[in-house]
Amino acid sequence: MRFAAGVDVGSTQTKAAIVEQNAGPVAFAIVDTGASVTRAAENAFNVACREASLQPADVGFVVGTGYGRYKIAFGNAQMTEISCHARGAHALFPNTRTVIDMGGQDSKAISVDDNGHVLDFVMNDKCAAGTGRFLANAAEVLGLGLAEFGALSAKATHPVKITTVCTVFVESDILSYLALGKKPEDIVRGVHLAIAKRTVSLARRVPLEPSVTLTGGVSRNEGMVAALEEVLGVPLQVSPQAHFAGALGAALHALDRVDASFESGVWRTAV
Amino acid sequence: MVDWYQKLAESAETGTPPAASMMVSGACVELTQAFDVLPLYPEVNALQLAIRRQSLEPILAAEEFGYASDNCAYVKADIGAYFKGITPTGSPLPKPALVLCNFVGCNTYVKWFEHVSVIMEAPLYVLDVPFLRAGEPSADAIAYVVRQLKELVVKLEEITGKQLDMDKLREAVWCSSQVEEYWSKIKHLARRSPSPFDAYFDAITLMGPLYVHRATREGVAFFKQALEELELKAELDREAGVRERFRLVFEGPPPYPHFRAFRDMFAKWNACAVASTYSTVGGLWEFGARHDPDNPFESIALHMIEHNVTNRNMQQRNEQIKRYVEEWDADGVIIHFVKSCRLFSAGQGDMREYFSRTLGVPTLYVESDLADPRYFSTAQLQTRVDAYFEALEMHKSARTSAHVG
Ligand code: SF4
Repeated sequence: MRFAAGVDVGSTQTKAAIVEQNAGPVAFAIVDTGASVTRAAENAFNVACREASLQPADVGFVVGTGYGRYKIAFGNAQMTEISCHARGAHALFPNTRTVIDMGGQDSKAISVDDNGHVLDFVMNDKCAAGTGRFLANAAEVLGLGLAEFGALSAKATHPVKITTVCTVFVESDILSYLALGKKPEDIVRGVHLAIAKRTVSLARRVPLEPSVTLTGGVSRNEGMVAALEEVLGVPLQVSPQAHFAGALGAALHALDRVDASFESGVWRTAV
Repeated sequence: MVDWYQKLAESAETGTPPAASMMVSGACVELTQAFDVLPLYPEVNALQLAIRRQSLEPILAAEEFGYASDNCAYVKADIGAYFKGITPTGSPLPKPALVLCNFVGCNTYVKWFEHVSVIMEAPLYVLDVPFLRAGEPSADAIAYVVRQLKELVVKLEEITGKQLDMDKLREAVWCSSQVEEYWSKIKHLARRSPSPFDAYFDAITLMGPLYVHRATREGVAFFKQALEELELKAELDREAGVRERFRLVFEGPPPYPHFRAFRDMFAKWNACAVASTYSTVGGLWEFGARHDPDNPFESIALHMIEHNVTNRNMQQRNEQIKRYVEEWDADGVIIHFVKSCRLFSAGQGDMREYFSRTLGVPTLYVESDLADPRYFSTAQLQTRVDAYFEALEMHKSARTSAHVG
């Protein structure tokens, strides 16, 4: 069996990746998580199979990751998003020593060795401060779509100072800046810088060594990437597949186990 | 412990023997024992309520009364329990004849005991123990504590109407020294692989008796038996080829309201705590210190100043954990940060860096609370714990293959 898959169930989106032995990734898929984690995982996996022109039974081993990993009915094993993002980031950029992952509900910094193994990690505290949810909320207050919100940041000339990273209180901060006549782009940039500072201070708790790779859904937000680079003072490695790093890492961990699974008689139940 | 709660209930009904409220860390239980005064520990009440999932109601009652949300949750569980008339076992607790604030390390104790004294309308004696800033206590610091212990003797004489019997005090101090010897041997059993017991999660069953019965013959017999049973278990485990997969050192008190869930997160990975700092709150004996029946007052003072983890400085705490990692042959360190405990938690971020960066010991830092159930997020903690073990496993196998290759 040459194929293995990873399914990363996130709070907003579920991603799947399929990898082939000695060939690397062959398919990626993304679906909205919605109300049923189990269904979202199945959908993402099936879409990825179609994309790769495979039958689900052609896939030798599936590793589930993300907050919904234990709800994936057809997975063979579960691993945390920390191990998976580390492995995925290392696959995308083998020189990675630090991974910053910014997802919908949490952000984390992972220090990795030259094999993509986790050396140390830190995660944000329980609340959604400084995560994708925070950005989405800020964009909504400004009446902007997420893509516009990210792009607008580059137009800023005098970014405002946002002092809160609380998802609830940022709303009143933004409204008061609007009332003061501040330009939306300056507010957007202020929001990005506020989160970047928080994220970098989190990341400094692991040895923040270059090269730094950004993963997770927020990596698609160019304003956020620019703000992080400014605060970090070093360029970030961002792959077009950065969003799939968790699923890709899970698929690579699954590939390690494909042969072992045959020997031990573990087998995936039909999808 | 059942026996102790029964005695407390009797004391609540009949007024005898009298009880004194004390802090666990640095408790001078030898002195109260010499006067047949029962120790009553507000911290033990708080944790007993928490582990029985009864702490939220008193915590909310205390907050309603005006305690802030970030005040120590032990304080709120205990104070709220007085307001609500709740006790851990349901049977009554006595009104203390003396509220003895043997203040070590944490200054929350002073305010807490002032409040207990006001609420219970009981006299307060604050025994001020100097913090151990340097390596060893100065002669002045010891003399200062001894002088206060002698003042305390006068108080206890007033309360009980008895004169201090020096032979009885020596006997109590001797019992403590014996218990400490057994307890230390038990701790050292965990250096074996497999360890016959979990020095964090199982240790709490031995910590209660240590606080309550240390200075008694019953305590000596209990710890002697515990040692014998664990020695036997160590032998049987060895013969059966039982093995733990990971050996850990724990820092910080456990999340009592979610004790089982937290424990299961580590049990799932077949991990065993081989040492913990929390189990030295009632005394740090595994490195050789003991009470001394020939110098009862000085050795009680030394226990209060030097031989309990709460009164020791950050470098000493780090050193203690480092010794555990090296001498107990641990794979990593788990730091449980307690949101509402300023004393124990301050500095744990630096501690994490010291172990993970300076010493290269895989270290996990997790946060919740020791008595407030609201700070525990199962899914988030589970992810952190699982990720820690996944990384540890990879490092272990990388190390093994490096050795083999
Ligand atoms: S040491 Fe921590 S738990 Fe104990 S009284 Fe002080 S603040 Fe509370």
